[in-house]
Amino acid sequence: MKRAIDALQRDAAPVGHYVGLIVLFALVNGVARLGSRFAITGGCQRIESDIRDHLYAALQTFPPKFYAAHSTGDLMARATSDITAVRSLLGFGTISLVSTVFAFIGVLAAMLAVDPWLTLWALAPYPVLVVLARRFNLAVNERAQAAQDQLSVLSERVQEYLGGMAVVRAYTLERRAHADFGQANGEYLRLSLALARTEAGFSPLMGLIAGVGTLVVLWAGGRAVVDGRLSLGALVAFNGYLAYLTWPTIALGWTLSIVRRGLTSMTRIQEIVGAAVETGSVSPERSEGGLRQAPPGFIGAGSVSSEQTEGGLRQAPPGFIGAGSVSSEQTEGGLRQAPPGSVAPAVAPSIRFSHLTFSYTGRAPALRDVSFEVAPGEMVAVVGPTGSGKSTLGLLLARVWEPPVGAVFVSGRDVTELPLASLRAGLGYVPQEGFLFSRSIADNIDLGRDGVGREQAHDAAAVAGIADEVQRFAAGFEAVVGERGLTLSGGQRQRVTLARALAGRPTVLVLDDAFASVDAAKEEEILSSLRRAVAGRTVLLMTHRLRAACTANRVVVLDAGRIVEAGRHEDLVRRGGLYARLWRIQQLEEEIARA
Amino acid sequence: MPESAYDPEADEQLGRAFDRRLAARLMHAARPHRGLIAGSMLLFPLIALAELAQPWLLKIAIDDHILKSDWLGLTWVAGLYIGILVILYALRTLEGYLMQLTGQRVIHDLREAIFDHLLRLEARFFDRNPVGRLMTRVLHDVEAVSEAFTSGLFAVVADVITLTGVVAVMLWIDWRLALVTFSLVPILLLVAVYFRLNARDAYREVRRRLARLNGFLQESLQGMTVVQLFVRERHERARFGRLNTEYRQALFGSMRWEAALYASVEALGSVALALLIWYGSGRIVAESLTFGALVAFIQYTNRFFLPIRDLGAKYTVMQWAMASSERIFGLLDRAPGIVSPTATRPRPPRAEAPAVELDSVWFAYDGDEWVLRDCSLSVARGERVAIVGATGEGKTTCARLMNRSYDVREGRVRVDGVDVREWELASLRRHVGIIFQDSVLFAGTVEENLRLGADGAVSPAELARALETARAGFVTDLPRGLGEMLGERGANVSHGQRQLLAIARALVYNPAVLVLDEAMSSVDPESEALIRQAMTGLLAGRTSITIAHRLSTVHAADRILVLHRGRVHEEGTHTELLRRGGLYARLYELQTGAAPA
Repeated sequence: MKRAIDALQRDAAPVGHYVGLIVLFALVNGVARLGSRFAITGGCQRIESDIRDHLYAALQTFPPKFYAAHSTGDLMARATSDITAVRSLLGFGTISLVSTVFAFIGVLAAMLAVDPWLTLWALAPYPVLVVLARRFNLAVNERAQAAQDQLSVLSERVQEYLGGMAVVRAYTLERRAHADFGQANGEYLRLSLALARTEAGFSPLMGLIAGVGTLVVLWAGGRAVVDGRLSLGALVAFNGYLAYLTWPTIALGWTLSIVRRGLTSMTRIQEIVGAAVETGSVSPERSEGGLRQAPPGFIGAGSVSSEQTEGGLRQAPPGFIGAGSVSSEQTEGGLRQAPPGSVAPAVAPSIRFSHLTFSYTGRAPALRDVSFEVAPGEMVAVVGPTGSGKSTLGLLLARVWEPPVGAVFVSGRDVTELPLASLRAGLGYVPQEGFLFSRSIADNIDLGRDGVGREQAHDAAAVAGIADEVQRFAAGFEAVVGERGLTLSGGQRQRVTLARALAGRPTVLVLDDAFASVDAAKEEEILSSLRRAVAGRTVLLMTHRLRAACTANRVVVLDAGRIVEAGRHEDLVRRGGLYARLWRIQQLEEEIARA
Repeated sequence: MPESAYDPEADEQLGRAFDRRLAARLMHAARPHRGLIAGSMLLFPLIALAELAQPWLLKIAIDDHILKSDWLGLTWVAGLYIGILVILYALRTLEGYLMQLTGQRVIHDLREAIFDHLLRLEARFFDRNPVGRLMTRVLHDVEAVSEAFTSGLFAVVADVITLTGVVAVMLWIDWRLALVTFSLVPILLLVAVYFRLNARDAYREVRRRLARLNGFLQESLQGMTVVQLFVRERHERARFGRLNTEYRQALFGSMRWEAALYASVEALGSVALALLIWYGSGRIVAESLTFGALVAFIQYTNRFFLPIRDLGAKYTVMQWAMASSERIFGLLDRAPGIVSPTATRPRPPRAEAPAVELDSVWFAYDGDEWVLRDCSLSVARGERVAIVGATGEGKTTCARLMNRSYDVREGRVRVDGVDVREWELASLRRHVGIIFQDSVLFAGTVEENLRLGADGAVSPAELARALETARAGFVTDLPRGLGEMLGERGANVSHGQRQLLAIARALVYNPAVLVLDEAMSSVDPESEALIRQAMTGLLAGRTSITIAHRLSTVHAADRILVLHRGRVHEEGTHTELLRRGGLYARLYELQTGAAPA
């Protein structure tokens, strides 16, 4: 452009030549810029994506202890805004920093080539620009933070009052709520206007300084042109070069704050990913590795090593009987129950708790010295008042919480020594809270497991007593559950989770108060179909409903983490202890319900 | 459903960029600030003028002074230029501030309007709309609406003024040269609109996929135990990886359109520059154009291109804003379902009428899942009545009907012999007070929490008496006494203390009829004893209805009503009911005799 203008001044004709060059350079610049943007942005989006994958993989390895300590909101923040901040650091931060550096080097070189003396003039306002930009940035950041904090206060107010609407209504607090909200709202207005006052001046001031820079060049350069020391084209080009510098300089402060925020976020993400490395014992990589090393289908339905088969089918060896609570007669009873030719896998393992004492972090023991055994194919019910430690048993068996070494055994092997994946593959666990994913019911039942097709899912649903209800939905098993899909009742959710457990054809079934939200009649129905389905499987049934417990081979009664009674339903009722009292309560409740 | 006038599912919907009905309502919302808006609008021509003067001065400097070697004149022009820059700085700062001021005031007022409206909506609305969603309306949607003013309306007006000015000046300097530049406008417009619309669609896809990704993540966090129990880690990770990749691809796609837009506008700018130099140079050689004019022209061209480039961005902002305002107005339009009657006839409450009376009441929260079926009960003045029954038999529902949190489906609820629907709402709720199971305390001092809603002055002596009766003496032991700040949900006092404060609050509120939705869950035995004493003090000489979950607390009641299957099944005193050996007797045995320690 400089040359074109100078050529113009010389009244020379080949302007067309330069015009062509301008277009060519513009095109090259455009293509190069597009290319670099695609490469850098694409690259950092890939990195972002990888970080997110890693974070997710890390999250999968954490035990409930971790989730008790970190709220979902906090983890979501790390997976969303922190990752975005890292992307900004990688993408915008890098592009901006690199291009600023290049712009300065390139433009300075070009300007120096045109006229060193004028360059000095042109750069004169820049120190002021940098200092001011920094000061402004600090002030803006501070006020932005204040406004942001007040917005949190405001949002707390809204949440508090909307959450406590019942009280607001009952105590006619509308006026106070209005005043309180108005106060917070007004304060937010004040703070955001304070921010606006600072911010409003910022970019015009930068414009002013840049303008003054241009002017200085125009004035000093104009004089040089007048004096004949500089060509007019050089002056115009110079002005153009200067314009390239303005924006990166203004943006520098902003870039630096993005870099800072990105680094902080990186640390927060690293905390999670790093923690996953520490809890290596539960990491899926290792458990998958373990799966390969372990005898395939250790308690699963697959091929089973003969030793275990024998162990499972043979009478429990003396050492297996924990604390004398299991008589061999009952064990036999349990075995006899399995009808010949049952579809259930032939081999069900035994479960043994041996002097198990366990407490959740920082709390009183949930279980104290608990010892009992469930023989292969036996159904044992664990009953007791709320908080007696029933659920903990199941959680430890599945190693959702890590049990102490030498206390929980499956087929005589300590669960802590078993690879997680193979332990859980044979376990059908139905938790108290029926958690469903917002996917189709079929997906919720089969969970994408190999060997669990739609057919198995339907069969399992039939046993769980939910199939008929599901068929009545317009989309049947393909109906999507969740906020935007259909809402299932608590009882329906529990039965879907039961079907989920059954569909995996587990050899051990753990039911943790799985029928709490199901009415008594439905429970009868499920239990009767369950009895057929679980034949040949080892079943641990935790329940506060004794109607379900009395169908078990044996009942273990827990109170405050200790076994207080164990035996058959009839015996326990006759004994007149805690179980008998619970039984009486149950009867009263039934009478009331019938009234 | 009549409630569906307000569609909560529409969070991700894009509306039209301009909707006359909505725009009219927005304008109405902005009415109180019309002075401000007019003020900002007045600034725009001035700013445009100052902006346009700069290249013009450049032209004068080059043509009249630099080329003529007039050093003094150049200094004059430079001085003028500085003056204009300073004025521009001042105008710009003012403009930026006024825009923010308008936007923030609109936000402030809208927030208040929405919050006030929510305060008037009935309980049923809150049953169906989770608090989180309503918070989005109050906190975030309003921001988008203010964008409609700042980035939408203002920016468009400013752009139009600048564009008009630029076009006029360019035509004036040299209409032929201007036409050369304008010849590129159709291409520019086409490019801007095409790329921007594509970018917008791509961006919408990005948001959709991000929402899916985050939804999946959140659910995974909640259901992690299930994933782990069924050894589904690898399967879930693959699913997550798939969503993650989809998101990345969409993100890259949207970035591509955006980048292409900027690149092509820049390329077009270069083409324009080349055209100008090519055509202009011929004219300069022919001496029909000055050199300065060409330089000024090049600068005007830049100012001409930018607003056109960003047109699409503004269009998108307007669309989001319209979608948000539609949601906001949808919410504001939803009329409160329970309001005071338009004309409350002042009726002298009949002295002989029962204090509270349910007369053949039918009620269901949803559809025909009846909670109360033909339920009738009445409480005489000064009587202490307890309502008992198994969980889910509608005890709490009775309380909610008495202060008209919900309206009955059929039958009548009368207070002092007058149907609650004929009471002025506020006075009904001053008359019938409820203490809830969950003693919600609000952020603020203890004293503020006690005075809650108590109109008029409450003397310190009365406060002290209330605290004493409520056995809430612990307040005086707090470091700042009555002035102690209570955290969110009263976090820094114990559960038991919270209940004592709630009782004290009710004493200060001093309603004629007190409904006690009693709960002593998870309170240590010491607090329980205190609360029981406090309650005795609270109920003394007052019409009261205690909803009892624990039968041990109802012995003292004048009459006990046993609710079963949505109606009163038995009634009488404790001894009478025990002697009858019916439902109450069984409930009683259940809780006292047979219950495990």
